[in-house]
Amino acid sequence: MSSWETFTWITVLILSFGSIAVFVFFVKDIRQILKKFQKEK
Amino acid sequence: MGVISTIDYVIIAIYLAGMVGVGLWFAKKHTDFDDFFLAGRSLTTPLLITTLISTYYGIDVLFGDSQLGFTDGVVAWFGYARPTYAFFLIAAFLLAQRLREEDFKSLPDILDKYYGKNTRYVGAVTSFIYSLPALSLYGFGMLGDVILGWEPIVGMLVLGGIALVYTLTGGFWAVVLTDSIQFVLMCVVLAMAFPFAMNLIGGFDIMIEKLEPSYFDSMGDISLWLIIIYASTGLAILVEPTFYQRVFAAKSYKNIRNALIIGIFIWGSYDWIITILAMAAKTGTLIGKTIIDPGTGELIQKTIIDPGVAPDAALLTVMVAALPAGALGLFMAGVLSTEMSTLDSYCLVAGGNVAYDIYKPAIKPDATDQELIKTTRYGILLSWVLGFAMAVSFEQMLGLWVFMASILISSVLVPILLGLYVPKFRKPLAGFLSAGLGLFSTVILNVYIMMNGTFDLEEETYIVQWLGIDFLQEFVMYITLPISLIGFFIGLALDKGGRS
Repeated sequence: MSSWETFTWITVLILSFGSIAVFVFFVKDIRQILKKFQKEK
Repeated sequence: MGVISTIDYVIIAIYLAGMVGVGLWFAKKHTDFDDFFLAGRSLTTPLLITTLISTYYGIDVLFGDSQLGFTDGVVAWFGYARPTYAFFLIAAFLLAQRLREEDFKSLPDILDKYYGKNTRYVGAVTSFIYSLPALSLYGFGMLGDVILGWEPIVGMLVLGGIALVYTLTGGFWAVVLTDSIQFVLMCVVLAMAFPFAMNLIGGFDIMIEKLEPSYFDSMGDISLWLIIIYASTGLAILVEPTFYQRVFAAKSYKNIRNALIIGIFIWGSYDWIITILAMAAKTGTLIGKTIIDPGTGELIQKTIIDPGVAPDAALLTVMVAALPAGALGLFMAGVLSTEMSTLDSYCLVAGGNVAYDIYKPAIKPDATDQELIKTTRYGILLSWVLGFAMAVSFEQMLGLWVFMASILISSVLVPILLGLYVPKFRKPLAGFLSAGLGLFSTVILNVYIMMNGTFDLEEETYIVQWLGIDFLQEFVMYITLPISLIGFFIGLALDKGGRS
């Protein structure tokens, strides 16, 4: 496997797992924000 | 595009309906203008990452990066994309902290505080023009045509209309929430596309074998001068109104700093994969395959990707060829996402310019929050309509793109940065002359070049002959930015009073 290919697979991992991880934390935060909205209503 | 299956269309339809649903859900939940325009200044790091990344990555990046990757190889990443990360680092460590030290709501707010109302209005007009969604709507026309087989104008109205509806109703909260869905869709789909593309062309080693060695040269065949020009477009980040809006909407400086640092890794990965996919498309134009001719039933040789494919269509073409049903629908929804998340953010900023930066200070200083929200909605609608008019009437959208990209840097970069960092430079005349002359010279030069120059299809830009030199429209910024700087120091010398 060339260094170009290795680097590409690393970026694939960052993009897939990184974005999912960010989204999981996003969901955690947004749930609290939505709760705030419901309360205000 | 006959290979798109029903399941792909169903996925696209679900995605579009979901976006509208989010906007309607937030429709009546805003308590005040801060809530509508800055999401109550409560954005945490994950929310900032998703909205920053999806806003910056429209189809201009998707197809611009891939076009350069297709024609020149990895230099698309090293020369074009990578320098922008340096500007993001500057923004993370130097600019964002300074911006958070005061209670600003918008970019013209800064100009007002340091130089007074007149400079604020110049900044607001500039920001409004810069934020008009002409390119996004044009992109929707193109995507509607390619993905769904619609007339471009129908694509603009339907796809652009959906983004308009959820931005109008839901404000910044809807933008942030839809951005997050768009973010994960964009990233996961792009990551997933890589193995499929490699499977299509027979693996990474085939790509290395078939492509010219220059495709793997980090500086490629592109001149250093051109790389400097590409890299300097990253300057826009330092005065980007949507970036400023997210800095002001962050819960704290730490949140925005962390979001930018994490974001750089995701941006870098995203750009790299686009580059590699475009190179896979190029490889596909060089590899033959044997197929059965549907007409004669004979075995014939054909390349995997049509060698005549336009470089900016390379990414879409390789994805259609590589992805299975369902995955292709996700990819198409991801492509629509990239543009929707850009259009919604810019429309909202333009609406804010109308309501908060012009209407309130110039017409109704005692406007209530509800009046401001209502006026912002009118401003969003106005920006969309003007953007639509531009998208259907301009023949060469690239010329318009260069004009809109240079207008902001040329007029507000100098007064914003000098005002933020050198308190003794905060003189009204300095700010006004700098912003005014920058704006005026940018408009005059761009209009002159677009009217008197010729559009070069190879360079994809307007060119005029000046003193025997080919002067590209992209060079305008290198004249107007010094004009803005000179204007600033003339104003500084002439302004004896004013604030400091």
